[in-house]
Amino acid sequence: MIEFNEFSFRYREGAEPVVRDITLAIPDGCFVGITGAAGSGKSTLTYAVNGIIPHCYPGDFYGSVTVEGCDTVDTSLTDLSRLVGSVCQDIDSQMVSTVVEDEILYGLENFAVPKDEIPGRVDEALAAMGIADLRDRTIDSLSGGQKQKVAVASVIALRPKVLVLDEPTAELDPASSVAVFDLLSRYARENGTTVIVVEQKIALLSDYADMLVIVDGGRIRFADTPDAVLAHSDELLALGVNVPRATTLVNALAAQGLYEGPAVRNVAGAAAVCKEVLA
Amino acid sequence: MAKFLEYVPGDSFLHRMNPCAKLIGAVLFAIACFVTSNLVFLVAMLVVALGLALYCGMGRETAGLCKAVFAFSLILAVVILLTTPHGAQLVPLPWGYIGTGSLLAAVTVVVRLMAAAIPLFLVFYVTKMNDMTNAVVKQLHVPYKYAFTFTSTVHFIPVFMNDMAGIMEAQTARGVEFDGSFVKKVRLMVPLCVPLLVGSVRKTNSAAIAAEVRGFNLRTRESGYKEYPMRAGDWAALAVCALLVAAGIAVALLG
Amino acid sequence: MIEFKNVSASYDGELAVLNDVSFTVNDGDFVAFVGTNGAGKSTTMRLANGLLKPTAGEVLVDGVPTTALKTSELARRIGFLFQNPDRQICCNTVREELLFGFAALGEEGPAAEARVDAIIERFGFEAQAEPYLLNRGTRQLLALASIIVLAPPTIILDEPTTGLDFRECVKVMEVVRDLNEAGTTVIMVCHDMEVVGDFARRVIAMTAGRVVADGATFDVLRDRRVLKEAHILPPQVTEVSLMLGRGEECPAPVAAANTVPQMVQALAAARGVEATTVEVEAIG
Repeated sequence: MIEFNEFSFRYREGAEPVVRDITLAIPDGCFVGITGAAGSGKSTLTYAVNGIIPHCYPGDFYGSVTVEGCDTVDTSLTDLSRLVGSVCQDIDSQMVSTVVEDEILYGLENFAVPKDEIPGRVDEALAAMGIADLRDRTIDSLSGGQKQKVAVASVIALRPKVLVLDEPTAELDPASSVAVFDLLSRYARENGTTVIVVEQKIALLSDYADMLVIVDGGRIRFADTPDAVLAHSDELLALGVNVPRATTLVNALAAQGLYEGPAVRNVAGAAAVCKEVLA
Repeated sequence: MAKFLEYVPGDSFLHRMNPCAKLIGAVLFAIACFVTSNLVFLVAMLVVALGLALYCGMGRETAGLCKAVFAFSLILAVVILLTTPHGAQLVPLPWGYIGTGSLLAAVTVVVRLMAAAIPLFLVFYVTKMNDMTNAVVKQLHVPYKYAFTFTSTVHFIPVFMNDMAGIMEAQTARGVEFDGSFVKKVRLMVPLCVPLLVGSVRKTNSAAIAAEVRGFNLRTRESGYKEYPMRAGDWAALAVCALLVAAGIAVALLG
Repeated sequence: MIEFKNVSASYDGELAVLNDVSFTVNDGDFVAFVGTNGAGKSTTMRLANGLLKPTAGEVLVDGVPTTALKTSELARRIGFLFQNPDRQICCNTVREELLFGFAALGEEGPAAEARVDAIIERFGFEAQAEPYLLNRGTRQLLALASIIVLAPPTIILDEPTTGLDFRECVKVMEVVRDLNEAGTTVIMVCHDMEVVGDFARRVIAMTAGRVVADGATFDVLRDRRVLKEAHILPPQVTEVSLMLGRGEECPAPVAAANTVPQMVQALAAARGVEATTVEVEAIG
C-alpha cells in the first residue's frame, strides 16, 4: 500500500509548490497510470514514491508519503530502493554496463543477493521481459525498445514490491511501446507488484491501468478507473490531457443520444458500441 | 564500427585475460616504450602492439585510434623539430637549425606515443566495463567509488561524442559550414559546447540517481558476482611485459 | 521539389539502411513518413536535406543533386527540425537564437531583425528569456520558430510531437498547418497516427529501408497489407470503421468513416436520425 497524505512539495529553486494537497491511496498490486500536461507535477509524484524527493532533490516537503508503512522522508534512499524499483526517464544514461547480463547483475550485486540465488534471478528477469536472447549483447547495439526492456529487467531482478517508471515509452514507436506495456503488466499481475507509470500516451495507459490519475497544476483532478475518468473527455481535453479517439467517438455518440452507457478506453470498446448503435 | 573506447565482443586471448593483468600489462608495455629512446626497439614495440590489435580483431578500431594519436604526436614532433638543434644541420632557422638529430627525436616521439598508446586503448576495446571495475576493486583493492567514476567517465566519452555529432548535424542543417579550415571549425564549435554541457550535466545527474536507487551506496569489495582468477596465461603475459621493460632498460643502458 | 531516384544509403559503408528508394515530393505537399523505428525514415530525412549523401542513386532538390549543393544553400531551401530541440538551441537568449540562422547564412541586418521580432510576437515568446530554462514544449516551439523565421520553401520535421503534451502538440501542429496552407512544403516523420490522419495529405510507409506504400493518407492507412507490412496501426476511428466494415450489413458511410464527425454522422444516418454538428479538437 502506498499512501499520500496531504502531500505538497516545493523544489528548493522553485517559487511555487509543484504538487499540492495530494491525498491518495494505492492498494497493493494496482497498476496506476499518471498523466497530465507538461509541468503538471506528474513526475514529482513518482519521485515522492521512490524517495528521489526529498533525498536527491531537496525542497519543502509537507504532509507524508508512505510505502508499505515506511515514511519516505525518514527512510534512506537505499532502504527505499529495496521496496521500490525505479526506471528513470533517460535510459541511456542509467545503464552502467557494456553488456546486458552485467546490467541485470548490477543491482543484485549491490543488494548482496546470495550468490547461489543470482543466476536464477537473472534468468527470471530476462525471461519476464522476453529478452533471454539478448543476454550477451552489448547494450550499445540494442534498439530503444530492447534497451527499455533491459532497464525494466534490471529492476525487476531485485523483486521490488513497487515499480515506478517515468515515461518508459517516450522514445519508442507504437509497436515497441505496446510490447513493453504487455510484458510489464503481465509480470505485475503474476507477481502482485504495484506499478506506477507516468506516461503521455493516454491511449496506452488506459488500456492497461487499473487506476488512472490525472494531475493538473500540481493537484489530482481525477483518480479512478480509466472508464470513469475517460467519461469526462471534454474536461480532460480542456486540461490539456489527450483522450483516445475511440473514447472521444463514443462520448460524442452519447452526446447525440445514440448511446447510453459507460465510456470506453480502446478501439475494441468503441467498435462494440458502434455495433450496438447499428443494431 | 565500435564507438570510441567501447567494448567490442570477441573471444581472443586478450578478451579472455584477467582484466587486472591486461591493465598492468598495458602499463608495463607503455613503461617499456618510455625507458629507452632506441628507435629500433620502439619500432619493434609498435609492430608488436599492432600485431596484438590485429590478433584480437581490432584492426579498424586501432587504425582510427592511430590516426588520432598520430595527429597529436605530430604536434609534439613539430615542436621538437623546431626546438632541438642536434646532429648535422639540415635546415637553418633564425634561432638555431633542424638537424638529423632533431629529425630522429621527432620520429622517436611519434613512434613511442603510438606504441605506448595502442595497448592501453586496446584494453578498453577487449574488456567489459563492469569486469574492469570489479576486477580492480577485488584484486587491486581500488576503492569502488573511484573505479566506478573512472569507468563511467570512459563510458560517457562515446555518449558525448555522439551528442556532439548530433549537435553539429543540427547546426549544419541551419547552414553553419563546418567544412573549412581547422581554425574556423574550432571557432564554430566553441559556442556549441553550451548545448553539450547542458546535456552532459542532465545526463550525469540522472545517471547518478539511477545508480543510487539500485544500491550504489551498498556496494563493497565483495559485491561482485563474477570472480577473476589469474590463470597461467595471465602470469605469462605479465612476465613477457616485464621482460619488455627489462629489455628496454638494457637497450637504454647499452645504447 | 525533392526527388529520390533509386536511392540507397548506409552509414560507415556498412549494411544498407536504405534500399532503392524512389519518390517525389512536390511543392506544397504535406507528406508523413510512417513505419517502425529503424525502418529508414530518419535516414531518408537526412538524405533529403543533404546531411547524408546517397551511396547509390540521386537526391535532387529543385532539380539539383544534393551532392552539388553547399550546406548554406541546402539550409536556405530546406529547414530541418530535429527530434531533440536541445541539439539545435545554442544561444543565450530567445532573440539571439532566432537571429542565429541568419548569421549562419550571412544574412544579418535590419530585415532579419524585423522578421525575428515579428515571429517573437506571433509565438508570444519572451525575447530575452534563456532558452534552457524554458519547458520542453516551448523549446520545441523555439526550435521550430528559429527554422521557419528563415522562410525555407520546405520544412522537414523529425517526430515533431514526441515528448510534447496535448496542448503543445496542437500548438506545434497548427503552426505547421498554417505554414503549409501558406505554401510551405511539409515533410514529417511521425509515429502518432492520429496526428498523421489529422494533418498529412499523403503518407509514405516504410519498412526495412524500403517504401511499401505511397498515396493519399487514408488510402494508405486503410490498406491492410500496408498496415501489416509496416507494423502500424491506423488512427482509432479508421480502425473502428475497418472493423465494422468487415460485417456484411455495414452501411457504406460507416465503413468509410475516418474522423469522429464522419463516424457520428454515418451512425446517426444509419439510425435515421439527424446528428447535430460534432466538433472535435484536432489530434488524437
